[in-house]
Amino acid sequence: MKKWGMALRVTGVGFYVGGSIVLGVFAGLWLDSKLNTAPILVIVGLLLGLVVAFYGVWKMLAPFIGKERDKESI
Amino acid sequence: MPKRGRLGVPFSVIVGASLVLLALFVVSFLAGPVGRSIFGDLGLPSWLGVPRPDPRLPADTVFHLFGFPVTNSIIATWLTIIVLVGVSYAVAHRIRLIPGRLQSLLEFALGWLLNFCQEVAGEKNGRRFFPVVTTIFLFVIMNAWLSLLPGFGSILVTGAEGKAVHLLRGANTDINTPLALALISFVFVEYFGIRSLGLFHYLSKFVNVGQFSRGAGQLFRGKFRAGISGLFTGIIDIFVGFLETLSELVRIVSFTFRLFGNMTAGEILLLIAAFLVPWVLALPFYGLELLVGFVQALIFGGLTLVFFTIAVMSHKAETA
Repeated sequence: MKKWGMALRVTGVGFYVGGSIVLGVFAGLWLDSKLNTAPILVIVGLLLGLVVAFYGVWKMLAPFIGKERDKESI
Repeated sequence: MPKRGRLGVPFSVIVGASLVLLALFVVSFLAGPVGRSIFGDLGLPSWLGVPRPDPRLPADTVFHLFGFPVTNSIIATWLTIIVLVGVSYAVAHRIRLIPGRLQSLLEFALGWLLNFCQEVAGEKNGRRFFPVVTTIFLFVIMNAWLSLLPGFGSILVTGAEGKAVHLLRGANTDINTPLALALISFVFVEYFGIRSLGLFHYLSKFVNVGQFSRGAGQLFRGKFRAGISGLFTGIIDIFVGFLETLSELVRIVSFTFRLFGNMTAGEILLLIAAFLVPWVLALPFYGLELLVGFVQALIFGGLTLVFFTIAVMSHKAETA
């Protein structure tokens, strides 16, 4: 991918991290209020959001890290 | 004899205009809330100021059509569509070998966008993705720029609930429009992925049980060590597929909130600037908003393009 693709990938990172955490927390809050399980599902949602955030960021930034390390890690 | 001055404008006109602007700035500063709080009321007429803005997040309903509420942001969407279709029709209807001004502008914009698509996605795929990406780009940028025109947020009509509401409001300051755009982008990502890779190959990115079933098979054939390590990798694969599915959903949210947040913040910034120091201070922010509209359109279209490109890549090529 050329420089435009690279630049756009980096642009997407910020809101992606925020979005995944916020989505996880709100889904947890909503399920907690439905199922009366507060605060377990909020914590689960937050952790899941964090994992998705890290995974997505890693995927987006993988082309920058170098091919050899990339092959070994999955 | 060559004209003296800048850009063909004589110096006397430049100096005169600057003085008028400066005088306007001083007077409006003194009349606005900031000046009043520093210098007290100087007895300036109240029409110099701007009424206090009350930005509201949900769009107001203007009227009902077949039972559906029609909000002011939908009217702005229609206006954007009319402008885009009208300009395209006017240009495409009488296309010439030696282009006029409008045709040159459109040719330049479309050529630049096609080049952009092909640079990111490659020669063939760039051509395929070009219509969707360009439509999104043109819609977002036209929307952002139209909502800077006078009339947006200043024409008042009587709304459906009998209150005075704005007739027009930037469509992307209503969260439903960015959400709709994000969903369109999401649907096209899946469509291009399935078209390029086939349904099963594409879905195997999200439901990846191949390694797990291989491990189970080895376990049945008595190869315990290989079977257990196969099962373990299989579980990791399934979890990664789950994360892929979630990140696909998160993408919709992040697309929506990026566009909505930037557009709404821009509108509120303009309102507040015009309220604090009326008339002149809002001008530089209008320039800023032109830039923000362009950048947001570029990011929305460009990220859609990047996700198209990732979706049509084979999974093996993607991680390599």
